[in-house]
Amino acid sequence: MDITTISSFSKEDLEKALKRIKRSIWVYHINTGGCNGCDIEILDVLTPWFDVERFGIKLVASPRHADLALVTGPITIKTLPRVVKALRAMPRPRLVLAIGSCAVGGNIWFESYSTIGGFYKILDKLHELGVEIDKIVYVPGCPARPEAIIYGVALLLGLVKQKVHYVRKKA
Amino acid sequence: MVKFVKIIPIALKVGTVTRKYPFERPLITESFRGAIEVDPVKCTGCGACTRICPPKALSLIREGETLILRYFVGKCIFCGMCADICPEKAIAITKEFELASENLSELNVDVEHELKKCVKCGATFVSTKLLNKVRSQVEALPDDIAELCPNCRRLEILKRFTGGR
Ligand code: SF4
Ligand code: SF4
Repeated sequence: MDITTISSFSKEDLEKALKRIKRSIWVYHINTGGCNGCDIEILDVLTPWFDVERFGIKLVASPRHADLALVTGPITIKTLPRVVKALRAMPRPRLVLAIGSCAVGGNIWFESYSTIGGFYKILDKLHELGVEIDKIVYVPGCPARPEAIIYGVALLLGLVKQKVHYVRKKA
Repeated sequence: MVKFVKIIPIALKVGTVTRKYPFERPLITESFRGAIEVDPVKCTGCGACTRICPPKALSLIREGETLILRYFVGKCIFCGMCADICPEKAIAITKEFELASENLSELNVDVEHELKKCVKCGATFVSTKLLNKVRSQVEALPDDIAELCPNCRRLEILKRFTGGR
């Protein structure tokens, strides 16, 4: 059976949806073969120390309930089908936060035989499979600090301005 | 149930522990390493950092007649090895960690270097800055040979030894 997704999801719809979930965003955590460093930092974010529930960020157990997927790890070949399945199960708008060097650029596994090496590399494949990702925010860090993760979510929701920009300097 | 009640006096004693992060300064210790920064004035484009970098976050790219030292924050593991190895001490470790971006290309920082052209064949072979530095340090380097690319230099020296035949 073919699972079809809503393909007519315009930019205005995304903005409207983002506005609606600004005060309460539900997250689902997918570890795609990372070392657990970033996972512990995500756990940190959820503990009373950083307590992200004060921003309405809540961890849910099923991708079907989630607005945002927290992806950590370089996506190993073995986890790839599960990642695609989990992302497909998410309702639109499908938001992704790629956390840590592994998920952003592949870290030291960027050209390993058993890993894909970064979330950006499977974007085309996901598009081909009809799993559209509406917005991605990349959070570098090895592991990403809890503060960096909170900052990433805030950037995704449009609460803060992006700090880093492409620079070209002359020597 | 009784066990749970025991927590209440402890919680009352400890009070609120939650960090108010966006509204207060994050806890950054002295040993914390964030993104690196390449000083374009000091950097000579030698490429030592690109060889030591474990995930190849630093890379040298040739773009026509410019050499680009590209730093891609997305791959960096903040190990600080590049800062240790750099012979010019051009790399500084900053405390920056709010690096989130919606676009991967925004995570790049480029440092442009001018490439030196071989006076004989016109091929580019080394950044002008590095050549000047080597020339200032190695006195025995003859001027006519210094501006040749490695290949032409080999041929030139061979020619001299064989007497121009
Ligand atoms: S090691 Fe230092 S001088 Fe050499 S390319 Fe890297 S930053 Fe520049
Ligand atoms: S800190 Fe480590 S990973 Fe980052 S650029 Fe330097 S050598 Fe590469």
